[in-house]
Amino acid sequence: MSSNRELSTSSYVGIGVGLMAIVGIEVILTYQHLPVQTLLVCLLCLACLEAFVAVMYLMHVKYEQPLLFWTVFPATLFVLGFLCYVFPDAFRMFSMRLAQ
Amino acid sequence: MNQSELAVVGAHGTVMEASPFGIEKKKLGMWIFIISDACTFGSFLFAYGYMRVGAPVWGAPFELSSIVNGIVMTAVLLSSSLTMLTAVRAAQTGAKASANRWLGATMLLGAIFAALHLREWIKLIGEGWRLFSNPTGGATQFGACFFSITGLHLTHVVTGVIALAFIARGYNQGRYDESHVETAGLYWHFVDLVWMFVFPLMYLMNAK
Repeated sequence: MSSNRELSTSSYVGIGVGLMAIVGIEVILTYQHLPVQTLLVCLLCLACLEAFVAVMYLMHVKYEQPLLFWTVFPATLFVLGFLCYVFPDAFRMFSMRLAQ
Repeated sequence: MNQSELAVVGAHGTVMEASPFGIEKKKLGMWIFIISDACTFGSFLFAYGYMRVGAPVWGAPFELSSIVNGIVMTAVLLSSSLTMLTAVRAAQTGAKASANRWLGATMLLGAIFAALHLREWIKLIGEGWRLFSNPTGGATQFGACFFSITGLHLTHVVTGVIALAFIARGYNQGRYDESHVETAGLYWHFVDLVWMFVFPLMYLMNAK
């Protein structure tokens, strides 16, 4: 497992401060009054960056065997991506009417 | 722990195959749970995202004070992740008292987060927001999205605090070891990770 190659406490505090800085950027972006779609994409990208840092360093995936990373994450990202891809199909419901 | 240490000796003395990922089975189980939970939250957030962008009029209930409250909640949850990391590290070095102290700090921060969250809920309910009603006259889906997604996350936080209490008690009594603390830590970091999506999407996207 991971323990011997872990970061120091000060490095973890640095990661925490970095994550809070990203939250700060998100708040600043919010008050720029961007179009909803643009804001959503920007916030999602920043949240994904935060999540990547959290998974790699706080959840220690960086220090586990690479096989864990390559087994878990591509499959999960594929499922989430596919979910996003097929979700708009649900909007067909609004234009569907039962046959009289 | 190396691969050979992870190999399990069966009831008849047969050496079983080591874990392919080099991690213990409880940690692997937690990873599988985390993946399934990520898909649950993912589906909720995708549904919300499409509705938010698709709705022509959407109520934006959050004043600056609520956003500041959300930032404080984020800082509290992030700090709890750091205290959890310290607890895991202390448990790995065998410093039982220190591990228990840091686990206590993590639980306290989790409880503070839950209290801040409930305060926000009470404020919204006081303003007339409900699961299926919008006092500003905009899309009624906001209440359903906000209360269900943040409610699901809050349930995870409260469950995590309770789980940490059990783990701390068991670890203190010698029933659990450092691997249990580490596995609980994995769950706690996941709760933090989910909040990194919930805060910008549910709070910042709905700021006035």
